[in-house]
Amino acid sequence: MEGLLRLRLALVFSVVAHLSLLVRSSSLSSPELQIVNAERRIDLTSHIVRVYLTLKVENAGTSPASEILLAFPPTQVDRIALVKAAATVGKKKKKKSHLPLDVNPIALPVAPNGTKHFAISLSNPLGVGESETLEVFYVLTHSLEPFPVEISQSESQLVHYHDSAIILSPYLIKQQITVIKTPSTKVESFTKVELTDRAGTEIKYGPYDERPPYSFSPVIVHFENNNPFAVVEELVREVEISHWGSLQITEHYKLVNAGARHKGIFSRVEYQSRQSLSGVSSFKHLLARLPPRVHSAYYRDDIGNISSSHLRTDSRKSEMEIEPRYPLFGGWKATFVIGYGLPLQDFLFESPDGRRYLNFSFGCPLAETVVDKLTIKVVLPEGSQNPSAVVPFPVEQHLETSYSYLDVIGRTVVVLEKENVVPEHNSPFQVYYNFNPIFMLAEPLMLASAFFLFFVAYVAYLHIDLSIRK
Amino acid sequence: AFLVPAGIIACFLPLSDASSFVVLYIVTSVYFSGVMVRLMLVLAPAACILSGIALSEAFDVFTRSIKFQLPGISGTSQIDAGDASSGSVVTQNDAVKTNKNEDSVKERPSKKNKKKEKEIVEKASIKSQIEKRLMVLPLEASVIAILLLVLLGAFYVVHCVWAAAEAYSAPSIVLTSHSHDGLHVFDDFREAYAWLRHNTEVDDKVASWWDYGYQTTAMANRTVIVDNNTWNNTHIATVGTAMSSPEKAAWEIFNSLDVKYVLVVFGGLVGYPSDDINKFLWMVRIGGGVFPHIKEPDYLRDGQYRIDSQATPTMLNCLMYKLSYYRFVETDGKGFDRVRRTEIGKKHFKLTHFEEVFTTHHWMVRIYKLKPPKNRIRGKTKKSKSKASSTTTSRRSGTRKKNPWH
Repeated sequence: MEGLLRLRLALVFSVVAHLSLLVRSSSLSSPELQIVNAERRIDLTSHIVRVYLTLKVENAGTSPASEILLAFPPTQVDRIALVKAAATVGKKKKKKSHLPLDVNPIALPVAPNGTKHFAISLSNPLGVGESETLEVFYVLTHSLEPFPVEISQSESQLVHYHDSAIILSPYLIKQQITVIKTPSTKVESFTKVELTDRAGTEIKYGPYDERPPYSFSPVIVHFENNNPFAVVEELVREVEISHWGSLQITEHYKLVNAGARHKGIFSRVEYQSRQSLSGVSSFKHLLARLPPRVHSAYYRDDIGNISSSHLRTDSRKSEMEIEPRYPLFGGWKATFVIGYGLPLQDFLFESPDGRRYLNFSFGCPLAETVVDKLTIKVVLPEGSQNPSAVVPFPVEQHLETSYSYLDVIGRTVVVLEKENVVPEHNSPFQVYYNFNPIFMLAEPLMLASAFFLFFVAYVAYLHIDLSIRK
Repeated sequence: AFLVPAGIIACFLPLSDASSFVVLYIVTSVYFSGVMVRLMLVLAPAACILSGIALSEAFDVFTRSIKFQLPGISGTSQIDAGDASSGSVVTQNDAVKTNKNEDSVKERPSKKNKKKEKEIVEKASIKSQIEKRLMVLPLEASVIAILLLVLLGAFYVVHCVWAAAEAYSAPSIVLTSHSHDGLHVFDDFREAYAWLRHNTEVDDKVASWWDYGYQTTAMANRTVIVDNNTWNNTHIATVGTAMSSPEKAAWEIFNSLDVKYVLVVFGGLVGYPSDDINKFLWMVRIGGGVFPHIKEPDYLRDGQYRIDSQATPTMLNCLMYKLSYYRFVETDGKGFDRVRRTEIGKKHFKLTHFEEVFTTHHWMVRIYKLKPPKNRIRGKTKKSKSKASSTTTSRRSGTRKKNPWH
């Protein structure tokens, strides 16, 4: 009897041990990565928050690791515009080159407190006991909340930034330090946890040792940021390809100042006389960087032409400085249209397999602006087939048809949509299509035949005798 | 153009019904154009016809002379000629210019045009000798004369194109001025309308004088109280009364009309003469025509509307004065109005029922918002004196009750 019981106990124990072994082995088969050293620099000098993360990752497990995970709190994940990672190659300090790596969002089954993860795929799997240094760069938009929410004309703008003093990571971090850079030395307050220090425009949290995975220490920094909070709520860029030699671009903007809202009076005399004290968070000028050899540029809105703009061109780039009709204070809006033409030979090329492709830069030409919703429409000439777009980051694509002058079957339009676009997205993208050159003759033949038929009809009418009686 | 008197005389030579009609037409149109400058439109066809007659007579003489003297052509002696001696005088003339008068309806006095008209009338006293005998001029002279007449016509065309481009093509919505560093553009109207369009709520109502009604509706896309096509004189008089009343009464009127913003046009900083202070006499007259408490003599000093220190207290207290000159003294320290060419009378004052929400770049359009009434009014409110001494801008806090509207 006792023996049976002991046997049963032993059986149960072994089963449990097996199960635990199984569980542990499953956790052991995923590599145990550790971050030996982490350094984070948060740049708050503009209204777009840029974070530079340097991680030295070591594989302390038993199997090689092919991807490294990054964790973000759920409030930040919605505002991430872009995440980039690169591996530093080269032992010598001077000859470091960077290999860009793919970063993709990944959903883990177990994630504490709704943390979202991104996975960096390594080019070579990290072997056991090896360590690698990664440079991660990510951009956050709309992360600076104005506090106070409404300010008057003579006040300066103060904003809140929420983050954690300890880097959120699914791995154990042995040593880490976080440095926050503010645009000026005027910092109202910042959360003081252990080992906090402030020197000039830099606030340092750390160095911290041995923090377990997913540790988080929320801090709030309340500081002054008077940089223009230029946000384009909606931008529609239309790129029209004409094989007769030009590229015509029309951009429709809805601009808003997304800083602290302006309340109360606006006094022009104070704005003009005391410029350093009044309206410091408003902006008057915006700079648009355009490709060189731009021609026929215009700047207008619903009412008419806006005459306050300057276009400066040189051989490498063009700069268009636009001034909306009135200075934009917090919460004020403006809408306008910018259009220009570019020579086609700079942008249209032929790929090795006979297809043509347009190489153009994605993103908004205005400097330091966030676009909430960007739509790019590439209008291909009539008779193009098999359009496809290659974009270095995920966008939504679909096709439309638009009708323009002398169109019979309509022009195919490739529509690309993306949300939360920052200036780092200004990289080139390609749109491929097939085009039979014979279709170039379609329009002139149409016009020529129309006139020809008209003249023939007239001549025939003159010479045809329709009288009944001679 | 210049040849009009020559043409008149040419009409008398064979005095037919047609030519006498033309002469009567030009005499009456000259009279009417002298009365009201916009009626130069009526003078234009008459002047054209008469100068055309003169030119054609001149060409007649010269071509006949040439034809007569060309070898192989015998001339007859039935030539009736009038000699216009204006062939050798190249002068500026602008009667055809008046043809383009369709868009010359301007508020601002076009001093340039008036001066030219006077100058032309003075110079037009060239007498032309008429001789009813056979006149044959030497060949070379008539050839040269024809060439000169053709050149005159060509220069005239160039001059007309220039005059039309410079003087008659100014859209009244965008003003330009030539300064030492190029063309300066005053786009204040569109700036104000664009601001209203984007930064106010959709159903906010804007009150202004009726001249800007259509522009506000079209460009700012907001409801207005009176516009260019308002036939209801009482309604326009209501707005006029509000502009001529002191602040509290004006606030009451505008509040009853559910107005949120008040727009005034002010040209004192840049010298734009068609602003609301110059139109103010009409606001007083139209308002006074319907509401008897607005009396025009209250605003006049020696029969004139003034805004300087000699102005009447009613004028210095009315809403139009206050909204136009609010904080104007802070621009140059003295408050010198470039249109009226004086310093303003009341320089430092505060607005109690309105607040300034937008002023354009050159101060040409000023937009104010009605302040909402306070929730509680403690007991009987003493009317606060918003006049302060011209040396201090701060309130005399000890001696008067706190203004409940602040």
